[in-house]
Amino acid sequence: MKKQSYNTMLISVAGLILLLAVFPIPVLAQGKQAPAASEEGKVLYEDKCAHCHGVDGAGDGSAAENLLPRPRDFTRGLYKIRSTESAQLPTDQDIFDIISNGMPGSSMPAWGEILTENEQWQLVAHIKTFYDGFEDASPRLIDVSDKVPYSEESVTKGKEFYTNLGCVDCHGVVGRGDGTSAPDLTDEWGFRTWPANLWEQWNYRGGSTTEDIFKRFIGGIAGSPMPSFISSFRLGLTDEESARMNELELKMDGEGLSEAEEEEYAGLEEKLFMFEDIMLNVEEGVELTPEEQTKLDTALKPIFEKSWHLANYVKSLGPEERPQAAVGDKVLRSQYREGTLPGMNDEAWNEIKEASYFPLVGQIVIDPRQFNPSIDSVMAKSFYNDSEIAFLFAWDDRTKTLPQADDETGETVEDALAIQFPVKISEGPTDPKPYFIYGDRRPVYLWSWKVAEPSTVTEMNAKGINTATVQSDQSPIQAEGVYKDGQYQLWVKRSLITEDKRNDVQFAPGVFIPIAFSAWDGANGDVNTKRAISTWYTFVLDPVPSNKRFVYPPLIALISVGLLFGLKSSVRRRQDT
Amino acid sequence: MQRLSLFTKCLIIFVVLWLFLRFFIGSVWSVPLPASVISMYLGLILLAILVHVSVEDDRFREFLRPVKETLADDDRRTRRTVLFVLIPLVMLGLSFSRLSTKADPPAVLRTAHPAPPTELEYRDKVIGLTQEVENPFRHLEKDDTEAFKAHVDNGRRVYYQNCFYCHGDDLDGEGHFAHGFNPPPANFQDPGIIPNYQESFFFWRISKGGPGLPPAATPWDSAMPVWEDHLTEEEIWDVILFLSEYTGYRPRTFGEAAH
Repeated sequence: MKKQSYNTMLISVAGLILLLAVFPIPVLAQGKQAPAASEEGKVLYEDKCAHCHGVDGAGDGSAAENLLPRPRDFTRGLYKIRSTESAQLPTDQDIFDIISNGMPGSSMPAWGEILTENEQWQLVAHIKTFYDGFEDASPRLIDVSDKVPYSEESVTKGKEFYTNLGCVDCHGVVGRGDGTSAPDLTDEWGFRTWPANLWEQWNYRGGSTTEDIFKRFIGGIAGSPMPSFISSFRLGLTDEESARMNELELKMDGEGLSEAEEEEYAGLEEKLFMFEDIMLNVEEGVELTPEEQTKLDTALKPIFEKSWHLANYVKSLGPEERPQAAVGDKVLRSQYREGTLPGMNDEAWNEIKEASYFPLVGQIVIDPRQFNPSIDSVMAKSFYNDSEIAFLFAWDDRTKTLPQADDETGETVEDALAIQFPVKISEGPTDPKPYFIYGDRRPVYLWSWKVAEPSTVTEMNAKGINTATVQSDQSPIQAEGVYKDGQYQLWVKRSLITEDKRNDVQFAPGVFIPIAFSAWDGANGDVNTKRAISTWYTFVLDPVPSNKRFVYPPLIALISVGLLFGLKSSVRRRQDT
Repeated sequence: MQRLSLFTKCLIIFVVLWLFLRFFIGSVWSVPLPASVISMYLGLILLAILVHVSVEDDRFREFLRPVKETLADDDRRTRRTVLFVLIPLVMLGLSFSRLSTKADPPAVLRTAHPAPPTELEYRDKVIGLTQEVENPFRHLEKDDTEAFKAHVDNGRRVYYQNCFYCHGDDLDGEGHFAHGFNPPPANFQDPGIIPNYQESFFFWRISKGGPGLPPAATPWDSAMPVWEDHLTEEEIWDVILFLSEYTGYRPRTFGEAAH
């Protein structure tokens, strides 16, 4: 009896193992399935989604025209963010996740905070009706089981691949999305698209976990110029063979190949062709022979491993969350420094650990408007001494654009920054500031910097958005602007007090001074009012801590000692009597 | 186990109340209390404790007994020494940190819901007295539902071409530009917004924007554009219809008190 049950157990375990082998785990990991498309889903879609994605799902809703990235056109079955392999449809769960989490850095909000889970599934079902290919599709999932854990070593390897595999062409040397081809990229539909600034993980459309990043490498971002990583490799060849093939191809174009070399080349080609057959079968869903499967797995393994290293490298680049804006605890505080203020490349700037972060958004108040700003923030640090103040500003811009005619409008565009202060600092919490875009009857004082003259900051005044005028009497201001690896740095130094008190802001320690920014990216068509702006923030020249703090506290401590002893003796005296 | 002395009890009450005011209210309940308010409450609590212990002579003596013992008794020497060192040190630390703290940014006061002007204008054309103007298309809701729907749909188009950048896809003030502005964009899903104002109020705020706010509402940093520069009169009324249709909240009508 006992023995028999033992046998039964053995058989069922074996059966289970067999079952798992027949139905690979990825199928189980596909997540939930959408319900059948329903009228409720359609109504919901038309209320919440159609204004961007269009009633027929073609990405042509009334809002679409002013949006970049454009709302997705669902009719072609191209989905950017998937857990599935290249050229595959997404799983239902993938579509659900995008609806639920939104796409950070685009105008797609996280509906998970607004709709119920059931409603979101109904949307998934309706969205799938826009593309026929979803019927009995079973997309292949990306295998994430061999994750390489995060380590310094892995990051170093990843960095090497980043440079060698051509990532730099679009994403730039250090990853700010400033590669040489960045200005010319378009998506499947011909709309402009910018490579991701990899330092801004909070803007990764499909999330910023290492797994998320890895899936983008393996699956590619459909409809965008971001390819699947697998396509950058010659499957079937080892790294050495692939390098040798490159070498031979170069030679073929140049001096030509010797007979032995031609034979060698043909051999390599043969290997490639054999693999193409396997890939074709994979594409068409033809079942692979065990032998072919082994071959494929062996060829993919090193690519997956490289992708994990690369994902670890990308992950190492920046913080996950957008820095907090420069208010409250994070307000910009100019630090007091004795002697000369640090110049542009001075190490002293590193003493300020965290630059203050000023978010920028599109100027959509006055025509012409900028609905899709490409500059999203300015960072600032500052020092001052008894007579001068120095700022170091930094902002990311994917392209350095010297004055040139814009492709569309023909207007002269160029990269520029304006730093804005009120001429008169408001005196109390109810005293109005000038209008945040270039003032109103209360004037603003501007430092205008343009890329064509990187060592000049021009003083301007404005009393309204189109009224900026250059001051006839320029105070001496030193400036230096540099563009490197997708980021501008601008150093500015002025005396705290100027002679032109009627038109210039005067800096004094301890006073909270309003500050705001306007930034132009020439390559994004920014000119005049079409630009990125910030609202008013404040900064302060942090007063030198008073020396009183070394005098009064010890005095207070001494007095309290005296009081305690006095109390003690008075209590004792009273007890004695 | 020894019974707690009256002094210890009072001390415990005081410390617990301070912790409650300082930490509990701020983190669990609502916004942190300003330090000045906390010290006012603590002053009152101290006063109450002193009144309580000093109403009877016996009780006051009982209250002071441990203090006197600690100060004078020979068998309390260790405790005395510790306190005599600790108290001056704490005073030193507190006064030093008080003198070294940095200036806080000034508070920004503003009138969240300013009073509208008496007359409603659109591009210098006087539409009428704010208190009397009604949405010219509101009556279609009863009279001609097809036409009403067309106006709401047009309002929807206007909203998603102009407003949702800040006020959000779901009209909840969480648009993708919202993080760049202070004060934050209005949240129309907040039950305190739409039901509390007449449609003419919305017409005024939309057509005149931030710059149209009255001097009494300064300092305004509102980034709300002057929409009469971009939209027609009809578009503004339509978008107001859309706001209420989408959220399900009805603006106040005249003669009806705010809830």
